[in-house]
Amino acid sequence: MAGVSYVKASRVYPGNPPVRAVDQLDLEVNDGEFLVLVGPSGSGKSTALRMLAGLEDVDEGAIHIGGNDVTHTPPKGRDIAMVFQSYALYPHMTVGENMGFALKLRRVPKETIKAKVAEAAKMLDLTPYLDRKPKALSGGQRQRVAMGRAIVREPAVFLMDEPLSNLDAKLRVETRANIAALQARLGTTTIYVTHDQVEAQTMGHRVAVLKDGLLQQCDTPRNLYERPANSFVAGFIGSPAMNLKTVALTSEGAVLDGLTVPLPRSVVAGHDAKTITFGVRPESLRLTGGDEVGMKLTVDLVEELGADAYVYGSVDIGGTAERFIVRTDGRTPPSIGSTVNVTLRDDNEVHLFHPESGARLETTKAPTA
Amino acid sequence: MDVTSLQTSGRAGPSGGRRPAPPRSGHRGRRSPAASFGLHAALVVASLIAVFPVFWVLVTSFKPDSRAIEASPSLINESSLDNYARILAGEKGDFLAWFGNSLLIAGLTTVLAVMLAASTGYAVSRFNFPGGRGLLFFFLVVQMFPFAVLIVPLYNLLLSLGLQGSAGGLVLVYCTTAVPFCTYMLKGYFDGIPREIDEAGRMDGLSPFGVFWRLMLPLARPGLAVTGFYAFITAWGEVAFASAFLSAADQSKTLAVGLQVFVQQNRTEWGHLAAASILVAIPAAVVFYLVQRFLVSGLAAGSVKG
Amino acid sequence: MVATTTGAAAEHRRPGPRGGTERRGRVRRFLDRYWYAYALVLPVVVVVGGLVILPLAQGVFFTFTNINEGNIANPVLGREADYDVVGLANYLNVLSGDPAYGSFWGVLLRTLVWSGICVAFHYGIGLGLALLLNRPMRFRTLYRILLILPWAVPAFVSAFAWRYLFNADYGLINWLLGSVGLPTPVWLGQSPVAMVAVIIVNVWLGVPFMMVALLGGLQSIPGDLYEAAEIDGATPWQRFTQITLPGLRPVSSTVILLGVIWTFNMFPVIYLITGQNPHTRILITYAFERFFSGATRDYAIASTYGVLILSVLLVFAGVYLRALRSQEAD
Repeated sequence: MAGVSYVKASRVYPGNPPVRAVDQLDLEVNDGEFLVLVGPSGSGKSTALRMLAGLEDVDEGAIHIGGNDVTHTPPKGRDIAMVFQSYALYPHMTVGENMGFALKLRRVPKETIKAKVAEAAKMLDLTPYLDRKPKALSGGQRQRVAMGRAIVREPAVFLMDEPLSNLDAKLRVETRANIAALQARLGTTTIYVTHDQVEAQTMGHRVAVLKDGLLQQCDTPRNLYERPANSFVAGFIGSPAMNLKTVALTSEGAVLDGLTVPLPRSVVAGHDAKTITFGVRPESLRLTGGDEVGMKLTVDLVEELGADAYVYGSVDIGGTAERFIVRTDGRTPPSIGSTVNVTLRDDNEVHLFHPESGARLETTKAPTA
Repeated sequence: MDVTSLQTSGRAGPSGGRRPAPPRSGHRGRRSPAASFGLHAALVVASLIAVFPVFWVLVTSFKPDSRAIEASPSLINESSLDNYARILAGEKGDFLAWFGNSLLIAGLTTVLAVMLAASTGYAVSRFNFPGGRGLLFFFLVVQMFPFAVLIVPLYNLLLSLGLQGSAGGLVLVYCTTAVPFCTYMLKGYFDGIPREIDEAGRMDGLSPFGVFWRLMLPLARPGLAVTGFYAFITAWGEVAFASAFLSAADQSKTLAVGLQVFVQQNRTEWGHLAAASILVAIPAAVVFYLVQRFLVSGLAAGSVKG
Repeated sequence: MVATTTGAAAEHRRPGPRGGTERRGRVRRFLDRYWYAYALVLPVVVVVGGLVILPLAQGVFFTFTNINEGNIANPVLGREADYDVVGLANYLNVLSGDPAYGSFWGVLLRTLVWSGICVAFHYGIGLGLALLLNRPMRFRTLYRILLILPWAVPAFVSAFAWRYLFNADYGLINWLLGSVGLPTPVWLGQSPVAMVAVIIVNVWLGVPFMMVALLGGLQSIPGDLYEAAEIDGATPWQRFTQITLPGLRPVSSTVILLGVIWTFNMFPVIYLITGQNPHTRILITYAFERFFSGATRDYAIASTYGVLILSVLLVFAGVYLRALRSQEAD
């Protein structure tokens, strides 16, 4: 078991101009931690994982596993196991052979392999399928075989590259919990790549958000949600997404239609631009009666989820229709086409970002981490 | 299924009738008897044309030479196994030695060509190395090679390598003609195997050679079968190189060379030649039968990619 | 199959700034990264390269000499070589079209016609049969086996079979033609009819390869494309021209290129069926005639033909690949 660290690690694809798929990544993963790399497609998250696996070159910087520099070590010398998105099970081997293959290559005695495979199979409910070929298994079973193949190895680090994205929605939620539980039980350092921020937030001890090869923020799920470091993270984490609008800034605060949100003096004073990027999560907004000060939201769509409902609509801000999402009580949603009054639940539940750099502008009241 | 019901209900809707219009044609609808007859008729005719020349050789192989050249042909005319008996008995030359030589040469060519083509195909498919595409282009050029007129330089080369007159030299020449196409085919086949399989193998502790040997080769078996077939056929029936590069001693000839004795005399001995041809064709047919179920998928993978 | 030398491979060759130590580092990194690939490729490069490039070099050298059986070095007889370098004389003689040197232009034309006709029939019949075989039906496997059979028959056996069938006196074809009252030509005689006969044989030989390749191509076209087209109201013919043919393009372009190259150099069929017949003479068979016939065995002219064949095919492949690429770019 071991920690992992990326030290200014970059992957540069030759070209004109060269593409920096992963750019100067600095990341420290603790021993036993479950770290999720998340980002949109093309963000470099898979490349970062594959650099750690030894499947991609590290063009600059270094990578350490358990304190050893493995930057130029071939995969087999790194003591890691990987679960692929496509599972990459060997089609010509049975489930048991698939799981025991790595041990067989290391010339582990046959009885030991058999015992370890049996143990892993029991853990993953695969015992009845050990003599089958992967072709004869369902998607969920194949996924478990891929997990089993990694577990049997007892590696220092597990790498998982979108291991759930080929499962249907229900199975995905179920397997998500199983993987997290398994990791907790084995206590093996795990790096997990996904594009699904829900997966990231529910599974990771910490989540690292990447975009265009650059690390945006790495923090606990709660901190990512409550204190996103920039407008990208703010928009990426949370579902439905945070309402992020670049609005005019006056001495009173941020101007949103009829509503002016007073901003902390520290922010306004230190900020010289005329505009500010203002973010508010759907649950921080509420529908209100006409007598309160608020924004006029024209309702386009209502998503009823039972307990809650999400109201999608547009607000006229400075002549352009801006889309907003509001969470509201599921029992009394507004009707489509109607206009409702929307206001903030709490003036402190806003996120402010620099309109150009997107960097977070710190409000005075920092939530306790 | 769904599509049909959508279409038919759309068509039946305005008229108000409940019975769907009969499907016109297509993959799901049943073929009309006429279409079915036409399909089978066309294929039967084509199959007959494909098979008939060989069948006729078979028929002729049982006839005595004098009966094989009668103006009004018949299926059976004093037919017997005499031709086969005489050939196998070595009356016309050491047939069994020829057979053994051919088997050895074709077998060696098959094994060597498949190994060479597989390793090259794998390298070109998986490693984006400088010169890889150039190599593929070079192989295309090699296919344009008029080998027949390079016999003298090849002869000189084999002579200086000490391979002239030996089976080994001939095997190398056959490999040269077979490997380029085989490489293309196998490259295509390897391209169809997901890279994740390689990567999983690397993670499990295999070197790139290990991946090739323990994962790629077992998974490419259909492609290897087709490649082997192609290499075997290339070497099995070849005449020009074999007669130029093997020593003239009777027991070192291949079948294809040895059987020329039936043609080179003034009068072709059709009956004997036919029997000998059948004997030559049998091993090729056996190899063909063993790999035929892989042919379509194996060849397709090779030519679709490229 | 359609290989180009541009692209990714070129990227790596771009020279960078290099000092002494950096270069050593680069070389090591380069080897670290690629040595597996080169190790895998090395045997082929040695075998194929050795057996192609060396003879080719020698063959090209021969074209500038007057080498023949009489003056080549003969180790068996212990004779030294005494041929002379004659410059471009061989090329000038051949390209002049002189009948003494094989009437190059006429034979080239015949070779082109032969290749064109053969490949057209290979492709047309192969595609037709592949389409028929690509439907679910009874005996499909049996038909497929029977139809591929000509491919598995050794070339000289098929040549023999057809020579026998085409025989003017006791061949089955003339017997059939005669029994329905049609004329019975001397198929393999000294007349253009012989060309028809060898084309028939070569078509018979070449169709299975095309059929199998195209069948594979057809099976790689996703079925839902046809369903989508059907929902869009495409007729069967439209589905063929709009989906099947474009879907077969990658296979087609490859097999046509290969087919032309192979047919162009298809030496055994013609040679084994009609022998040295000027009416079926194509470039490669003429080269072989020069090579093996007569007391002199004119290696120089044969090699000159070899080099010209290679040049013609290289030009063809170049034009073909370029046309293909510009079509793809559209």
